[in-house]
Formats: sequence, C-alpha cells, structure tokens
Amino acid sequence: MSKKKTIVTASGEMVRKKPLSLRIWNNRGYYLMFIPVLLFILVVKYWPMLGVRWSFYNYKPIGTPKFVGFDNFEKMFRTGDFWTAFKNTLVLSVMKLLLTTFASVIVSVFINEMGNLFAKKSLQTIIYLPHFLSWAVVASIFTMLLSTSVTGTVNGILKDWGLITEGINFLSDKKLWRPVFYVINIWKETGWGTIIFLATLAGINPELYEAADIDGATRLQKIRFVTMPALSNTIITVLILNLAKVMNMFESVFVLYSPVVYDKADVISTYIYRQTFGSAMPNYGYSTAVGLFKALVGGALVLICNYLSKKTRGRGIV
Amino acid sequence: MAKSEVAGRKKKFGLFDAINYLVFIIVALIVVLPIWKVVVDSFNAVGVYKFLLWPTEPTLGGYKTIIETQGLYRPFLNSIITTVVGTLVGLAIATLGGYVLAQEDLPGRNILAYMLLFTMIFAGGMIPEYLVMKKLHLVNSMWILVVTHGINVYNLVLMKNFFEGIPASLYEAAKIDGCSPMGIFFKIVLPLSKAALASIGLMFAVTIWNDYSTVKIYITNPDQTNFQYKLRNMVMDGDTPVTSYAVSQNTLFNAGIMAAILPFMIAYPFLQKYFVTGVNIGAVKE
Repeated sequence: MSKKKTIVTASGEMVRKKPLSLRIWNNRGYYLMFIPVLLFILVVKYWPMLGVRWSFYNYKPIGTPKFVGFDNFEKMFRTGDFWTAFKNTLVLSVMKLLLTTFASVIVSVFINEMGNLFAKKSLQTIIYLPHFLSWAVVASIFTMLLSTSVTGTVNGILKDWGLITEGINFLSDKKLWRPVFYVINIWKETGWGTIIFLATLAGINPELYEAADIDGATRLQKIRFVTMPALSNTIITVLILNLAKVMNMFESVFVLYSPVVYDKADVISTYIYRQTFGSAMPNYGYSTAVGLFKALVGGALVLICNYLSKKTRGRGIV
Repeated sequence: MAKSEVAGRKKKFGLFDAINYLVFIIVALIVVLPIWKVVVDSFNAVGVYKFLLWPTEPTLGGYKTIIETQGLYRPFLNSIITTVVGTLVGLAIATLGGYVLAQEDLPGRNILAYMLLFTMIFAGGMIPEYLVMKKLHLVNSMWILVVTHGINVYNLVLMKNFFEGIPASLYEAAKIDGCSPMGIFFKIVLPLSKAALASIGLMFAVTIWNDYSTVKIYITNPDQTNFQYKLRNMVMDGDTPVTSYAVSQNTLFNAGIMAAILPFMIAYPFLQKYFVTGVNIGAVKE
C-alpha cells in the first residue's frame, strides 16, 4: 500500500510522490490547453448523446414533445421498411468489404511481383487516386458513364457491339443497382486497400523466397506458399477493422440511390434521413429511436471487433 | 526486400512477367479512363459517349459558365473557406488534444482518454445531432462543416501516437529550462511534427472538401451549400442554375466535376507521400 505514495524514477530510486492537488496545479498548463478539445467533445459528441432520450417521445417540429415509452421502438420493429434497411445495410457493407478486400489482395500480389520499380510506383500513384475523390464526384462520374442519353459511355459501347438495342438504366434497375454499387466501390477503394497489404508483403523475409527458389518452386508456387500465407493475418485484421464500421454505411448509398431501388439500396442512415427530412411533419422521436438502434448495434460491433483484434493481433482498435 | 528483388528478378522475362505487365496496364486503364473522360469532355464543346484522347471541339466554355454563374461559384468559394478554416480548427484540436494525452503522468489523463474513446463506440446519432446544431443556430450555415469536422477523435489519437514518439528527453530538457507546456508545444513539439501535421492536415482537408451529406442534412439555403452538394444536385437531379447554356450540358457537368477535384489533383502529385503516410502513422504503429 505504501507503494501508492512513491514512484520509481528512471535511475531506480524511490521518491515520495507529490500530493495530487499539487500535481494538478503543476500541470495546469496542460488542462488549459485541453479546454478547447473538451468544449468540442462536449458540444459535438456528448450533448447529442443526451438527445437519445427523444427516442421515448413523440417529438414533432410543432408542439411540445410527449413521452410515449417504447412506442417508437414498437413501431420501428413492426415497420417493413426498417427491416429492409437493416438487412440492406448488412448485405451491402459485408459484400462491399469482401469484394474490395479480395480485389485489393489480388492487385497487391501483382504489384509485389512487379520487378520494374518505376511501373510499380506509377501504378500505386494511379490506383490510390480514386480514394480521394468524393462520393458526390464518383456518383457524378458514374451517373454520366452509365446514363441512357447519347453521352452515356457504357450504353453507347454496348449498343455499338450489338449487345443491346435499348439503353439500360443501370442505377434505377432493381437487379442491377447492387452489382453496379459494388463495381463503383471496387473502383474507388481497391487501390487504397492495397497499402496495408503491400506493407505486409514488404516485410516478408527474403530468405523464404530464396529457400523456395532452392526447392525449385515456380513463381505461382511461391505466391501460393509464401506470399498468400504471409497475407492471411493482414486480411483478417482488415476484415475485423472494417466489420466494426458495417453500420456506418451512408454517403456512398446516399449519393447513388433513388426511390426506384429503395428495396435493394436503402440503408439505416438513409432511412433515418428520409424519415426526418423527407417528410413535412417528421417525428424526431421515431428517427432518434432508429438512430439509437443503429448506434447500439454499431457500438456492439466495435466492442466485438476490438476484442477480436486484441485476440488476433494483440492490440485493440479503440 | 530490395535484395530479394534483385536476386529473384534476374531471370529472363517470362510469360508471368508478360501477364503481369498486361494486368498493370488494364488496372491502370480502369482507374484512369473514367477520370480522363471527364478531363477531355470538360474541354469539349460536344458531348460524345466515346472515350476520346483529346477534345474534338476545344472550348473553355464549361469553366467560364462556372466562374460566371453565382449559383456555382458561390458554393465553390464556400468549399474553399470551410476547408481552410475547418482544417486549421481540426489540426488545432487534434494537436492540442494529442499533446495533452501524450503526457504520461498527467493526473486524470485516463479519464480524458476514455471520454474521447467512448465517442468512437457510441454516438447520439443523426437526429439528436441535428437538434443540437439547430439550437446553436448552425442549421443552414456553412460553419456546420467546421464544427462537426473540427473534432476528429481518430486524427487526435494519431497525433497522440506521433507525439509519443518524440524522445522524452527533449521534453525534460525544456522543462528544466523553465519552458511552460504551451512553450514546449509551440517551440519543440510542433516544429518536430511537420510531416504528421501535413498528412493529418490533408486528411482533414480532403474530408471537409469532399463532404456532401452534412450539407445535405443541414443546409437548404443555396448560398450556404458547398460545391460537392451543388455538383451532385446538378448532375444527378438536373438542378442546374443556368437557364441558357453557352456550352452543352455535358461540357458543363464535366467542368463541374473537374472543379470539384482540381484542388486535389494539383496537390496530389507533390504531396502524395503525405497523403499516404497518414494511414501509416495509424496502421504501422505497433
């Protein structure tokens, strides 16, 4: 117990620790510097948390909020559109995650096999680029490429090849929206995803490849038995890290969906948005309840992924 | 790694290398072609569906329309203002917070750290946030972008990790010389952190510049929107503030996309390493 009052200095001697009040006073400079941070955190993060209580109210833009208990949650669980949005969130996020990770791994392996350093660096510079384009820009670019007008490239080329006669409305077709969404995501994020895999590949012990050479392994065998096993841990890490963000899917869908494809595209966040801002007399209580559901599932996922991350690689994600 | 490459690639150019080059070219084309089409079409007076290497009827009309139409240049200016101010505020908060949390024996440090980390697990959500911002009169004001992006816990933690890498002896020496925490921050910590400031500053800038949904949620007044919002509405919802086109609609749309990505395109080749190190501060730190 006496240990509490003493600390061990770098040189190993035990000294009495100063009383807490004095230590706080001595560090006052740091606390002062933290005030702006605290202000931002309290206003932008913690104040809205108090607003979670509105999920138990009937809260309209006009009139005073009325306490209604769990009514909003009951309504939510009875609403088909909510379940559609929940299911779509999971399907779109997980599929997107698997597809872009897969594409990133493949491209990383090819980049790693490239001997020409200039080609390697150039390709990296090029494929990182789409990650920095906004979703509004990416949506604009692909809307124009996929448009049915005379300037729509994809339809134009398909017509030239004689594959179709009528233009296809890719972004407002229930069957095609999801595949198109995945393709756009792959286009945007594959390159960026390679960074972490390339860092892992750069760390592979060269002796492993040399040993494989001595054993007479072919390039493909080296990829199969040296490169891929080295990547497996990183793949798991990437999947865990991104699984925590599954519920966050918003802007990418927000810029690309339209009423025709709500069935296949609507996610929780876009559902909340429409319930609130798409109606003349919204019930903020209901949207807050849906938001609370999303936050709780999202928070649970973060904690689960944090636990998995600690298990698999020895450090958490938060 | 370098050694193994030299040893491994001495063999003659084989089938595998040929395939590899082919894949490289295809991947590069897939990424570049859509962007190149935007570049060419923005300078081309007529809209065609084909990929062109060069404009057939060169014009600057699309860009001219953007510069001359208030409904278009106003959002563009708003984007610049909010990005610059937001990046400065964001950096200030991230560095201050990171610096304080990097002080290992600061009483109460853990409480502050957990307070920040909790916000990464739970959030009030879109609507409670909206109601708070409404109370603060930030609805329908472009400063909402500065306020909501000003605090970024992830970037703050990255800064903290970076600061923890600065040798403690430097702090100790300054403290013995009677330097205040603020003095150490400005005289020692910040000058040593230029690379981290650059990469995290870029992360802030890109995030704020690219933001569409915050504007869509909070702002209905056209004078307060940013360029991403305007662009998306113009291209996808046909909400064009121009009644008579000096150029084809296709040219204007593509010029709009160019305007939205131009600041980034100009900076990217020079600052690429900072764009990329941002991830590495977080990912590689063990």
